Amino acid sequence: MTVVLILAGLFTLLLMRVPVAFALGALGLGLLVAGGFSPLMSPQAMLSTLDGFILLAVPLFLLMSNVLLKGGVGADLFAAVHAWVGHWPGGLAVATILSCGIFAAISGSSVATAATIGTVAIPEMISRGYDRRFVFGLLAAGGTLGILIPPSIPMIVYGFITEESVISLFLAGIGPGIALVVLFVVYAMIHARFLGGQVREPAASWAERRRSSLRAAPSVALSALIIGGIYSGAFTPTEAAAIGFAAALVITAFVLRTLTWKGLREATFESMVTTTAILLIIGGAHIFGKAITLYRVPQDISVFIGENIHTPLAYVVVISLVLLLMGLVFEATSMVLIMTPVLLPAAMAMGFDPIWFGIFMVVMVECALITPPVGLNLYVIQAVGRTTLSEVSRGVLPFLGLMLLIVAILYVWPDLALYLPFKL
Amino acid sequence: MTMIFALAARLRLALAWLGALLFVAAGFMLTWEVGARYLFVKPTIWAAELSQLCLIWGSLLSMAWLLAARRHIAVDAVADRLPPAVRAWTEAAAMAVVAVFAGVTAWYGWEIFLDSAIRGRTSGTMLDVPMWIVEAPVPLGCAMLSLQALAEMAKAFRTDWSAPRGMGEHT
Repeated sequence: MTVVLILAGLFTLLLMRVPVAFALGALGLGLLVAGGFSPLMSPQAMLSTLDGFILLAVPLFLLMSNVLLKGGVGADLFAAVHAWVGHWPGGLAVATILSCGIFAAISGSSVATAATIGTVAIPEMISRGYDRRFVFGLLAAGGTLGILIPPSIPMIVYGFITEESVISLFLAGIGPGIALVVLFVVYAMIHARFLGGQVREPAASWAERRRSSLRAAPSVALSALIIGGIYSGAFTPTEAAAIGFAAALVITAFVLRTLTWKGLREATFESMVTTTAILLIIGGAHIFGKAITLYRVPQDISVFIGENIHTPLAYVVVISLVLLLMGLVFEATSMVLIMTPVLLPAAMAMGFDPIWFGIFMVVMVECALITPPVGLNLYVIQAVGRTTLSEVSRGVLPFLGLMLLIVAILYVWPDLALYLPFKL
Repeated sequence: MTMIFALAARLRLALAWLGALLFVAAGFMLTWEVGARYLFVKPTIWAAELSQLCLIWGSLLSMAWLLAARRHIAVDAVADRLPPAVRAWTEAAAMAVVAVFAGVTAWYGWEIFLDSAIRGRTSGTMLDVPMWIVEAPVPLGCAMLSLQALAEMAKAFRTDWSAPRGMGEHT
C-alpha cells in the first residue's frame, strides 16, 4: 500500500508539472519528515551528489559536444562520410547513419547528435528525393546513438547511482552501438532498394574523398583520443571530458576556424543549462532514493516481482513494456534515475549483470527519446526539419522496431555488451 | 517594485553566467591536471578539488534562473493540455511545492553551513578547504530558488496559459 501511495504521489507531482528534480526532492523530504527522519538529509544528499567527481564529466562532455556543434563539425563529418559511401544504394541515408555513429563517439548527448547531423543531412536527403517520413525517422533514431555509443551522459548517471564502473559501461555500449548502426544501415539500403525513389548519386572523386576526410580527421581523432585514453587508463572519464572540451576548442577555433564568439557563448550557456537541470534531478533522486530505501520500497517491489515474475525473460518483457509506457511521457535522465533503484535489485536477483542492465536501460531510454508525445529527439527533428510532430513520429516506427530488436539480441546474446569490458 | 524585479532578473542571469563560466574553468583545470601529470610529471593538488567546487557552486547558483526561464526538466504532456484556469492553479501549486522544498532545504543547509563555520571544520583533503566554502551554496542557492518559486507562484495567475509553452531540457 505504501508503495502505491508513494508512486501515486510522485506521478501527481510530476503531472502537475513540478520540475522532476523538485518533485523527487520534495516527496523524498516529505517522506523523511513523515517517517520521523531528519530533514538534514535533504541538503546533505544534494551536496554529496554534487560532490561526485564522475559527475563533473557531465558539463565537460556537454561543453565538448556543444562547441563541436557550434563549430559546424557535423557538416565536415557528413561530407567526409558522404564522399565514401554516397554512391551506394541509399548512400545518403547510410552516410547520415554513419555520421551519427561517429558524432556519437564524440558526444554524450542524443539531442546534440540529432541536431548536428540533422541540420546538414535533412535538406540534402529531401532534395535528393528521399521519402520525408523516412528521413525524419532516420535522423530522430540516428541521434539516439549519441547515448549508446560512448561517451554517454545517461551511462555516467547510471554508473553514479549504482556505483558501477563508468568505464565498463562505456565499453559495454560499443558493441550494441555498432550493432544498431549496422541494423540501421541495412534497413536504409533495403528501403532505398525497394521503396526509394531517390536520385542515385555518382561516386565522389579520390581528390574529393581525400579533401573531405582531411577536414573531418581532427574530429575523428578526438573520438579515438577519448575512447583510447579512457580504455588505456591514461585518464579518467572526467579528465577525458575535460581534454575533449579543450581539444574541441582548439579544433574549431584554430584548426577549422569555424567557431565564433557568439557560438562559444551559446555553447557555454547551453551546457550550463543542461548540466544544472540534470545534476539537480540526480540530487532530487538521491533524496527520494534515501527516503524510499528507509520505507523499504525497492525491497517490496523486488519481493513483488520475485513472487509474480518467475523467469528472466518474463522480467525483461514486463519491464520493457513498463519503460516503453513511461517513455511516452518521461525524459531520459529522469527515467534512469527513477527506475534504476527500483528495478536493479530485482534484476540482479534474477541473475542479470548490472552493466548489462545499464546498457538495457540506455536502449530503452533511446526508445523513450523517439516515442511521442514526449520524445526530445522528435522535437529536435521537428524543429530542424520544419515539419509536424506526427510526420516525425510515424517515421520513427520502423527504427523503434529495430531498437527493440537490439534489446532482444542483447537478451539472447549478453556478450554483445559484456564481451568488451569483461572478456577481451 | 518593477525596479526590484528587474534587478532580481539581472542578478539571476549574472549568477547563471557565473555558473556557466565555473564549468568552463573546471574544464581548463582538469586539462591542466592531465597535462601537468604527463608532460611535467608533476600532478597538482588543487585541480580535482577546485573543479569539484566549481561544479557545486555553478549548479546551485544557476537553479533560480532555470526556474524563471522554465528550463528545468518537467513533464509537460498533461499540464499543457489542461484548461487555462486549471493550469494557473496547478502551476501555482507546483511552484508552492518547489518553494517549500527549497525553503526547508535552505534552512537545514544553513544549519550545516553555520555549524561548519563555527567549529572550523575542514575537508581533510590535500587542500584542506574549510567546509563552509563547500556547503555555503546549498542555503544560498536554495533560498534564491525558494524566493523565485514564490515569485513564479504569484505570476501563475497573471500568465496567459492559452499561449504555447517552452519545453524542458534534454540529454
